[in-house]
Amino acid sequence: MTEDTQTETDGGHATVSGELEAGHEEGHLPAYGSLKRWLVTTNHKDIGILYLATSTFFFVFGGTLALLFRLALVSPAESASTALLSGIAYNQAVSAHGLIMIFWFISPFAFGFANYIVPLQIGAKDLAFPRLNALSYWLYATSGILFIVSFFQGTTYDGGWTMYAPLNVPVYTPEVGTTAAVLALLMFVVSVTVSSVNFLTTMHRMRAKGLTLRNLPIFTWSILLTVWMMLFAFAALLAGLMILSADRLLGTTYFTSQAGSVLWTHLFWFFGHPEVYIVFFPALGIMAEIFQTFTGRRLVGRKWFIAAMVLVALQSFLVWMHHMFLTSINLQIKTLFMATTIGISLPFDLMMFSLIYTMIKGRIRFTTPFLFSLGGLLLFIVGGITGVFLGAVVLDYEFRGSYWVVAHFHYVMLGGGTALFAGLYYWFPKITGKMYDEYMGKVHFAFYFVGFNLLYFPQFVAWETPRRVFSYPPEFTIWHQLSTVGAFVLGLSFLLMFYNFAKSYFNGPEAEDNPWAYATTAEWAIPSPPPLENFPGLPSYASGKLDFMRPTATADGGAAVETDGGAAATVMDEHVDHASIWPFAIGVTAFVTALGLSGFRQGVPNDPTINPLYSAIAVVGGVALLASLFALGRQSFDGPTGGYGEAWPFAGVENKKTGVWIFMASDVVLFGAFIGAYIFIRVASPGGWSEWELIPHEALPGLIDTYILLTSSFAVVLGLVATEKRSRWGLVASLVVTVLMGLAFLISHAIEWIPLFEEGVTLSSGSAASTYFLTVGLHSLHVTAGLVIAAYLIWRSWGGAYMGEEENWPVEYFGIYWHFVDIVWLFLFPLFYIL
Amino acid sequence: MVSTKLYTIIYVLLFAGATAQILIEESPIFHEAYWIAFGGIMVLSAIKAVMVAGWYQHLRFEPRGLSYLILTALAAALALTLAAAYSIT
Repeated sequence: MTEDTQTETDGGHATVSGELEAGHEEGHLPAYGSLKRWLVTTNHKDIGILYLATSTFFFVFGGTLALLFRLALVSPAESASTALLSGIAYNQAVSAHGLIMIFWFISPFAFGFANYIVPLQIGAKDLAFPRLNALSYWLYATSGILFIVSFFQGTTYDGGWTMYAPLNVPVYTPEVGTTAAVLALLMFVVSVTVSSVNFLTTMHRMRAKGLTLRNLPIFTWSILLTVWMMLFAFAALLAGLMILSADRLLGTTYFTSQAGSVLWTHLFWFFGHPEVYIVFFPALGIMAEIFQTFTGRRLVGRKWFIAAMVLVALQSFLVWMHHMFLTSINLQIKTLFMATTIGISLPFDLMMFSLIYTMIKGRIRFTTPFLFSLGGLLLFIVGGITGVFLGAVVLDYEFRGSYWVVAHFHYVMLGGGTALFAGLYYWFPKITGKMYDEYMGKVHFAFYFVGFNLLYFPQFVAWETPRRVFSYPPEFTIWHQLSTVGAFVLGLSFLLMFYNFAKSYFNGPEAEDNPWAYATTAEWAIPSPPPLENFPGLPSYASGKLDFMRPTATADGGAAVETDGGAAATVMDEHVDHASIWPFAIGVTAFVTALGLSGFRQGVPNDPTINPLYSAIAVVGGVALLASLFALGRQSFDGPTGGYGEAWPFAGVENKKTGVWIFMASDVVLFGAFIGAYIFIRVASPGGWSEWELIPHEALPGLIDTYILLTSSFAVVLGLVATEKRSRWGLVASLVVTVLMGLAFLISHAIEWIPLFEEGVTLSSGSAASTYFLTVGLHSLHVTAGLVIAAYLIWRSWGGAYMGEEENWPVEYFGIYWHFVDIVWLFLFPLFYIL
Repeated sequence: MVSTKLYTIIYVLLFAGATAQILIEESPIFHEAYWIAFGGIMVLSAIKAVMVAGWYQHLRFEPRGLSYLILTALAAALALTLAAAYSIT
């Protein structure tokens, strides 16, 4: 493949070699028309459709809220009594709009495509862990339902989508609905973490032979980098939300402590800035994919484009403090982060020029997907340029908290996100097997683009309008009225899209396998819609183009295929399951548990209560959740194995182990953020680090805890040795010692804590107590989870399971987790007991 | 992969390392040169963590990609912790 190639893009040209039968059809899945199918399916394409449908619902919901407050902004409403929405209703509508659009619409919408398209583009039958994929979806869906429920529990969250402290603590927002909204977001972040582990394992371990990272289609590249950013960024948000939940439910005092509000901004924006690219990258990938298809030209400077994306993904973690120029952080760090912020704009310049040159060098066909992509590019460029102002410390002092930020933000997020609608048109024929009406699609684009600019551009002009406030100076009335008209044009333009898709789905012409000339990624080489297991053979790019290989029969009925590790793997005739009810059950029971927990109000000053009804709901939900998790663990389910093609950099590390390690990486950031929060609060405390009084009176109990945990870790490794020696009772004995040591560790904590509680030292006693109890408590929670797993392993090993190197992986993977818990304690011990 | 003997040696070293941390705390240097003692105690924790990760978690015997994965996560956590703490000094 060369730069001059006009028709072959990344991933090679898709052709089917020979007549091959389709893969396993439909498995045990109910038919598409059955509700049951959508509750039990674990197939990546079904999950993709579920994500697209659910996120579209939230798009309409969040959009309706926006129309509501845009109507309220038609007049300046100089007093609350003359406003269409009351102050509190306005605050809820604005906050919920932001939260819904950022978390429940735009990223999940992109992940609808990622679910559907990425396995097809890399040549996989499904994601590495299909049930976890369904679990991610159900946690996402039920978290969204919980957010909706929060509207009916007094008020939902009304302190802005950034949830700044101290507004986020019960002193200012004591309502149950606010807590429910926080817990909904926490559930959503858990869903994202599960999804990140799954996608990273899949994309690194399950690529077709010959599909090296360098040759990955550009959309898949964008998703790969998005998921890497998600893994680390959302772990920081998870820490922030867990701490916030503790402040609200248990009464800890993190965000009301000295510099507590700055702590929240650190945790939030360490997530929040990468989130901008987490939202934008999938759209960028779609943009690039569509530019290639509809210009008939390979992306100009493709490898530099990829390098720029990698650079942005790395840099995205080094710019977060430009959101904090108006806080009390020092000038040196502001200057440093101004420089890094300017630095991150440079790779974007390269990407924008690459897209523009691709158009110049190619022959453009102005289809609906291309128009939306081009529109997205133009809008993003406006968003990018106006953002440079906010990256400069001095200008940010002026613009922060104004409508300049609102306009810039929407040009970046929704402007860039415009390409997601391009993706919807682009892949509609593949997903449905029907062709949409092109003319109606173009009319939709025209209204969308005009509506978008009418909505957001006047906000640049009226930039002095204060953000998140229901009134504004009367001289800006005309601009806000234009903006409101634009909002309705933009919103109503989607009626055209819905009508177009509905009409086309039921009465539209059949779509060919590849309705787009020059579309060359693998999804276009198979039928529209694709069969359940995607490919009529094993996909391979070894010849430089996509072929579907006929499996070579082996004694066990599988197929022998050379892997990049040089070993043969049996892959083709493997059985893959596609149905499980337990992800749905876990999603529902997690929802019930979180709903119950929202009634815990220990953090409400002067009125710390726990509502009995909510407590009962939490207990019922919690028990059902544990039962569902156990049932999921017990269920026999075969997922795809992977490792038969390209698997860099995890070749030789099978899927489950890769998943465990990736999860551990996320947990490193989670604990890192907790420890970071402790260090931050200690440094910010009135006497600084040195004057801090440790909560434990002496270090000896901590040393004993360390001895206990080290012994438990030693027992686990001896257990692994026992499995290799096929010593059943050796394994049982080792695991029993592990459990006993774990219990001793927890009892030791109880012995330490009871006298403290009797002295009146509780979670609410101040920063030192809050950080100690919560961080050590989180660790103890990890120990408890480990003990549950270890108890399960004892039960199975008693029956003779896990003997030999082929079968002992559950013990090995449990060990990875348990040793990690040990490692965390090795740092908590000195930080909380000695130093 | 590795012998029980080596696992036992590591266990003893981990035990000794934890004890050494307390000994540092008990020594005069902890009060006379707090930050040196601080450094020593944290370095001991880091060494113990590397031993657990390297041998008990078998990272030494796995493809380097897994080590880089964990180191990247560690770098992210350290960047957040150090930059945040410095920002308010």
